[in-house]
Amino acid sequence: MPADLTTATHLIQQVANQDRDAFSQLYDRFSTLVFTLAMRMLKARSDAEDLLQEVFVQVWRQAQSYSAERGSPEAWIINIARSRAIDKIRSIRRMQKSFVLTDDPAQAESSHNVESSAAESETRLAMNSALANLPDTQRKVLELAYFDGLTQSEIADRLAEPLGTVKTRMRSGIQKLKEILGTKLA
Amino acid sequence: MATAHEEWLELSEIYALGALDEQQQKNFETHLATGCAICEAYVRETREALLLLHRSIAPMTPSASVKTRIFDHIVSDKIAPLPAKPRTTIRWRVITGTLAAGIVGAVLAGTLITKRYEPRHTVYTSVINLLRDPATRDLPLYGTGPTPKAAGRFLWNESGEGHIFVTNLPTAPEGKMYAVWTIAQSAAPRYVGTIQTDRTGQGGLHINTPRTDQPVENFAVTLEPAGTTAAPTGPMVLISKPA
Repeated sequence: MPADLTTATHLIQQVANQDRDAFSQLYDRFSTLVFTLAMRMLKARSDAEDLLQEVFVQVWRQAQSYSAERGSPEAWIINIARSRAIDKIRSIRRMQKSFVLTDDPAQAESSHNVESSAAESETRLAMNSALANLPDTQRKVLELAYFDGLTQSEIADRLAEPLGTVKTRMRSGIQKLKEILGTKLA
Repeated sequence: MATAHEEWLELSEIYALGALDEQQQKNFETHLATGCAICEAYVRETREALLLLHRSIAPMTPSASVKTRIFDHIVSDKIAPLPAKPRTTIRWRVITGTLAAGIVGAVLAGTLITKRYEPRHTVYTSVINLLRDPATRDLPLYGTGPTPKAAGRFLWNESGEGHIFVTNLPTAPEGKMYAVWTIAQSAAPRYVGTIQTDRTGQGGLHINTPRTDQPVENFAVTLEPAGTTAAPTGPMVLISKPA
């Protein structure tokens, strides 16, 4: 196991013993990652900082449940962050959907809005060379799911593509990422 | 035709992405709960791969105050169970009732508790618990240094739980915070939280820290650069003994 992973794993084990110094180090190490993801998903700084707080309070409370066998510390923390962010996004979306449908159907999110959102995300993403190899169609469905919290059916509706096509693009994109990462199971 | 398990494997990647529809997600989680090691491995592997998407974003830094808020939260994270009702004298009951009524009234008025994410009923219960315990000390706080008109009270129990109320303490300037310290004999001051005040100068903070060997003798509030928790560096604004 790489030294930095060992260190992060050790920090989480110390946090499980209520070690605040270790918790401080863990925060310093991962807060930027979590905050960056939160900003990308929630857009507003105040919401992103609230999410960051919720995530690290959860890390403090649930450090004992972390097991290195079930993934890297980064993946564990980011998964907590994504789960919470997706819950918030979907909750807001449900509210907005009711509100928009009642007041002004023209304002409902359309495929045009999704396209704009995807274009915006493209400009925001500083894609590294490896990710640049991902076809746009695959990258787009992954981003809509990963950052915008859309389910596969919602993505199919909004892109006006068959569900099967969306699934295929998702799985192909994920396979490509695994190849890039070199983590594909033998 | 795909076998039943191949279908689970297909779902595992989309599950890791968080894109399964609600019912599919429930079904897959039920499958995972059976302890399927292969699907677990696929989910784990996919989550690691998806971090590439995340790592591709230009990093952004949160404000320093978030760390302070988190540490304040974990310091007061321990919710004390309601202690067994002590045998109390009528006098103690009267004192407790009077104090509780005043403090709880102020809490309910929303003027004293400003800490985010702290459910008010939890604070209410915790303050009542403190007041019920005859071992809880009730110490006045005196304004000093740049804030001579500030005042406050500190309820403290050697179990590590306490509550501070302040008044006439101006809102901390941008980039600064009011750090609360407990001071035991022959020990360095110990940071126990950050107190925020509203525009009327009032504020409150519930404190829940691990018990220490040495009893706390003094309490102080200092004005510090945001994020300072290791040791006091700024001017003292409140102290439990008159200056």
